[in-house]
Amino acid sequence: MAKETNGKTPKRNWGPALVLAGLLVVLAVLAIVFFTGGEREKVRRRAEVAEAKAPAPAPPQAAEPSARRTVTLYFLSDDDDLLHGESREIAAGRSAAEEAERALAELVKGSTAGLVSPLPPETRVRQVFITKEGTAYVDFGREIMEKFSYGSASELAAVYAVVDTLAANFKAVKKVAILVEGAEKETLGGHIDLTQAFAPDYSIVAK
Amino acid sequence: MDRKRRGVPAASLAALLLLAGLVPGPPARACGAAGAPPWPEAKKLRTVVIDPGHGGMELGAKGKLGHLEKDITLSVALKLKALIERNMAFRVVLTRDKDVDVPVESRAAVANNVKADLFISIHTNGSRQKAAEGSETFFLSSGPTPDEETRRLAYLENNGSRIEEHADRTSEGDVKMILWDMAQTAYIRQSSQLADLIQAELNALLGTRNRGIKQAPFKVLTGVACPAVLVEAAFISNPAEEKRLATDEFQASVAEAIYRGLSKYLQLYP
Repeated sequence: MAKETNGKTPKRNWGPALVLAGLLVVLAVLAIVFFTGGEREKVRRRAEVAEAKAPAPAPPQAAEPSARRTVTLYFLSDDDDLLHGESREIAAGRSAAEEAERALAELVKGSTAGLVSPLPPETRVRQVFITKEGTAYVDFGREIMEKFSYGSASELAAVYAVVDTLAANFKAVKKVAILVEGAEKETLGGHIDLTQAFAPDYSIVAK
Repeated sequence: MDRKRRGVPAASLAALLLLAGLVPGPPARACGAAGAPPWPEAKKLRTVVIDPGHGGMELGAKGKLGHLEKDITLSVALKLKALIERNMAFRVVLTRDKDVDVPVESRAAVANNVKADLFISIHTNGSRQKAAEGSETFFLSSGPTPDEETRRLAYLENNGSRIEEHADRTSEGDVKMILWDMAQTAYIRQSSQLADLIQAELNALLGTRNRGIKQAPFKVLTGVACPAVLVEAAFISNPAEEKRLATDEFQASVAEAIYRGLSKYLQLYP
């Protein structure tokens, strides 16, 4: 190109420059869309998180200190393979989760009518947390795994006594997930899969 | 969010293709040969994986007389292995052949890695009820619930491009585990047939109470990519049955019953 410049002013060829400029504009537009779009998304996400957090600390309904409520606990019987309901009074709590903890503590204590408790008597109920979607996360102490040598039948009974007790008494609970010491475990004793939440099974409850 | 969603159709399509390839629909029988071209009349040696329940530190159920589930399951499994190898053109793989810990997920992995055609887990039952007795055979209760399925698909969509990139090397990482979560759901019908046939033989040979075939979410069955059952032979928690379980004769009868059920199943799926 340089060689051809002798004498005459070279006729500038604007084609490539125009294409380049066009590309730059497109790039700039894309960059703007990219960054502002991303920003908007981030903001929206933050808003969603804030929204999700906001209603969490539910206003504690001032429960009367002496209020009681009746729950049905599920135990085993020596006569058949079914779970049998037993009524028990517990102190009303400020939330379903608090009452669920009390109900499970009663389940651990055992039957007052000669039924068989499916959980080790040493079991600690550390916490129950109920999500908006209706999954109750029940966190037990390690005794639930260590104090029994589970067979399939006793492991199934332990799991479904907990699941059915919560689902039958608390409308907010649709499914139950079992944790041990705050962590997900594969099984209690090598049988039943704890990595998925359980829907209640009332087919194993005596009519 | 909006930008991400644009990539979703392609990603989910890829994920679906991947699923279709790795988790075959109800296949004839060679379940382990997922994704492999169907060889019409190729006579390949079939493989059965026998899983003696528990082991090592994990004792399983304990009898009042001191017998342990893990010991009896191993003994039955070894007898069953010998029986199959003596009489059938089957390769037998055990998930453990001595008293060692084997994580539950590794048991399914053993079956899938050797491209098992059948998976049989052997257990003896235990209950809090003193009088509980009898034998039963389990297969997996139906697969993931819609909730979990949604969660999984969301995961696949969000990680679509990554899955495409890594589709070839699924030996480690999330992809394989996700697919294994669902692996057994494709074989529920065959698993129930196998359970039914084994249960009938347990009733005929053991003389224990017939507790029938049942479904439950057993961890050891969820990831197995072929027909899979879990046999609960008698209750070690019941002293009368514990005494029987401890004998060589009874253990041999359990192995024989499973072997006969297996033979009947193979007549259905020759």
